Amino acid sequence: MMGVLPAIVYIFLFPGFVFLVMYALFFEFLDRKVTARMQNRAGPPLVQPFADVIKMLGKEVIDIDGVDRQVFDAAPVVALAAVMTAFLYLPVFGLSPFGFQGDLILVLYLLTIPTVILFILGWLSRNIFSSIGGVRVITQMFIYEVPFFLALLTPALMAGTWSVSEIVLWQQQNLWFMFLQPIGFIVALICLQAKLERPPFDIPEAETEIVAGPWTELTGRRLALMQLVKDVSLVTGCALIAAVFLGGPVLPWAVSPAWLGNIAGFCLFVMKTLVVLLVLSSIKVATGRIRIDQLNSIGWKYIASASLLQVAIVLIINYRWVSS
Amino acid sequence: MPEVTVPIGPHHPALKEPVNFKVIADGEKIVRLELDLSYNHRGIEKAAEQRDFIRVLPLLERVCGICSHSHSTVFAKGIEEIMQLEVPLRGQYIRTIIAELERMHSHLLWLGVAAHEIGFNTLFMWSWRDRELVQDTLEEMSGNRVHYGMNEVGGVRCDLTPNQVRAALDRLPHLEDRIARYVEMVNDQQTMLLRFKGVGKLTREEVLNYGAVGPTARASGVDYDVRRDDPYLVYGDIPWNVVTDTNCDVYGRTCVRIGELRESASIVRYCLENLPEGPVRANTPKTAPAGEIFSRYEAPRGELAHFIRTNGTNKVERVDIRTPTLANWTSVAMSLVNQNLADIPVIVAAIDPCLSCTSRITLVSSPGGTPGIITFDELRKRGQTRYRGCGP
Amino acid sequence: MSVLKEMFRNLFSKPFTILYPTEHVPIPEKFRGRVAISDEKCIGCSKCSVVCSVQCIAMVDSPREIEFKEKILMRKKKPQVKIFKCIRCGLCERHCPTGAIYLDNVLSDSGTDQEAVVT
Repeated sequence: MMGVLPAIVYIFLFPGFVFLVMYALFFEFLDRKVTARMQNRAGPPLVQPFADVIKMLGKEVIDIDGVDRQVFDAAPVVALAAVMTAFLYLPVFGLSPFGFQGDLILVLYLLTIPTVILFILGWLSRNIFSSIGGVRVITQMFIYEVPFFLALLTPALMAGTWSVSEIVLWQQQNLWFMFLQPIGFIVALICLQAKLERPPFDIPEAETEIVAGPWTELTGRRLALMQLVKDVSLVTGCALIAAVFLGGPVLPWAVSPAWLGNIAGFCLFVMKTLVVLLVLSSIKVATGRIRIDQLNSIGWKYIASASLLQVAIVLIINYRWVSS
Repeated sequence: MPEVTVPIGPHHPALKEPVNFKVIADGEKIVRLELDLSYNHRGIEKAAEQRDFIRVLPLLERVCGICSHSHSTVFAKGIEEIMQLEVPLRGQYIRTIIAELERMHSHLLWLGVAAHEIGFNTLFMWSWRDRELVQDTLEEMSGNRVHYGMNEVGGVRCDLTPNQVRAALDRLPHLEDRIARYVEMVNDQQTMLLRFKGVGKLTREEVLNYGAVGPTARASGVDYDVRRDDPYLVYGDIPWNVVTDTNCDVYGRTCVRIGELRESASIVRYCLENLPEGPVRANTPKTAPAGEIFSRYEAPRGELAHFIRTNGTNKVERVDIRTPTLANWTSVAMSLVNQNLADIPVIVAAIDPCLSCTSRITLVSSPGGTPGIITFDELRKRGQTRYRGCGP
Repeated sequence: MSVLKEMFRNLFSKPFTILYPTEHVPIPEKFRGRVAISDEKCIGCSKCSVVCSVQCIAMVDSPREIEFKEKILMRKKKPQVKIFKCIRCGLCERHCPTGAIYLDNVLSDSGTDQEAVVT
């Protein structure tokens, strides 16, 4: 385990709180810029997401008649804390110093908390649009959670461990899971897009149908924090996919001074998360929004069965290796 | 969830103009719909009675921003018919060119808006980028991107120079190429097909029953287009085709509009290449003889009709405007029942609603009330009590 | 798929946006901007004021000698336009007998002064 001072630097400065927030806002800028350039527009400048957060923190908070103010104030903070904690268990600068057997499950659990918080916010705002949006959030969560968990389960099965850091180490000795389990990789990418509520799965926040869904009654600093939650989830999701499927921040061979290896690994981390972001942005630009009942049928018919197929393949391979 | 009233409008991000749908929904299925129009009433028909024939045309142009040339052309055409005035051929050709360019810009705008309603913002940005070419052409020819001001009673205000004709002809091939690309996209794009096919179905009998007009009707196989069935300007003399479709749903309406885009591009090309020489307007008398006329026109959204009554002075006595959107609203209200809540913006956008055009009537409350003056604060309080009544 | 090809082609080409006001916006010759009055040509006939669609042109006293059709006239009044009421319809330009009142084809810059910013 780490000493107290290095742990504090890790959690609050790098790669914890400060670096994470800066990187998340940079990711939002990149996402918007790439989307805009693909649509033949200019796109916002680099300071735009930073300016947005700072501006929103200073705006007036509008309280709704008869709604519990404390829950509304606390909910975005809880969601932000959950996603930031999830990021601490992912390998960024070398392996994660807090890793333990089972931290993959912990990361997945912490990543579901913002979705539940959105549902609670939608249900508590006394607003018809928010309640419809909240119901859609929960329906969507039931549809994509099962394939997402299964797609992230199969690398753990093949590597024989429940720790993200050890999955990364396994990929250093063998191939990346992107090549070994392509079906699982594609299912994980699609389900990540659904988890982050980006097109074609931005059904809960459908601007043209239900105003802003559960986000309708969020104003001022609550909206700033929830926007930050969205961006940090994007980074955490990309980092999770980069670690589990793309080999994480380790070079394929060992480098002698450990700090040099860690710096090279950090550059690899940045590159891999940027590639995942590019893929997610392309999916966002190329599609429109589908309806919740269409998502229901597509999700259970194709995505869930693809992930089950992947699990079956991995179990068969494991059985044959173990038995031979 | 039990039945709830979802207030779509008057303020809502799906709507570009205020209209009030009180949707009674059971979960995600719509049970019933109550429609309330006329938030945009500006008293244009009354104001038109106080302006002479020169000053009334800019007013009527501003009934709607997107189909502004339609309103001024149909009015000028009606007055010319009452005066028995013959507009020179070059003037007619220029009016047709501007009319078809307006149809192109309106349909490209519609394509972008329909894509935006389903969250497909990419097509929205691309089609509006191509619409800029049409707007540049219109700006070169008339001086403004909307509200062109080209019409006068008796002809057109100004002529087209050879440079403008050549610049417009140079832009056409790029536009035709992009339109072909949109045809491909509409047939391939999976999310568009998922959201548009089978949504808002209206059979041919229902369309004829509810009186829908324009591309909404033509998508259900009703073969009716005012340009062919009651020809005006030069549509009777140049080669063009009416576009119909048999799909009866929003996908059919999309196909009809994209087909009309292609036809408009070819009509503009034909008119620009075969522009006859001559004057662009005729000498007009100051007053019109007394008479009544019902003047019709195929606006981008459907059949537009003006009823004009003159009484021998230089002003009209009554002008009554029946816009195509007003004719299409019933079909929307009927086709929304038993659809999903998520389909409301798609079905409403499919008729291409233009509420500035529609709001020609307004309901005044309480029979037997005395006229008086109401202050802004009282009006605001009345609105708030009225709207608190609907919704949770 | 045509959408994917176009997306990636757009990613590497120049955006269609014109960054106004730092970049120059091309304006055609017939653009209908603010109303301008040329003092030497106006003969004070008041036709623009009569024909204006929104009645935003008032005639104010402005005596001056004007040469019109090889004669010297004594003009009494000159038009004055309320810039914020004008709808830029161009009827005044169309009906002026000397071409003294016209719509200028200048697109104003962005800024904070109301009078300077309106086109």
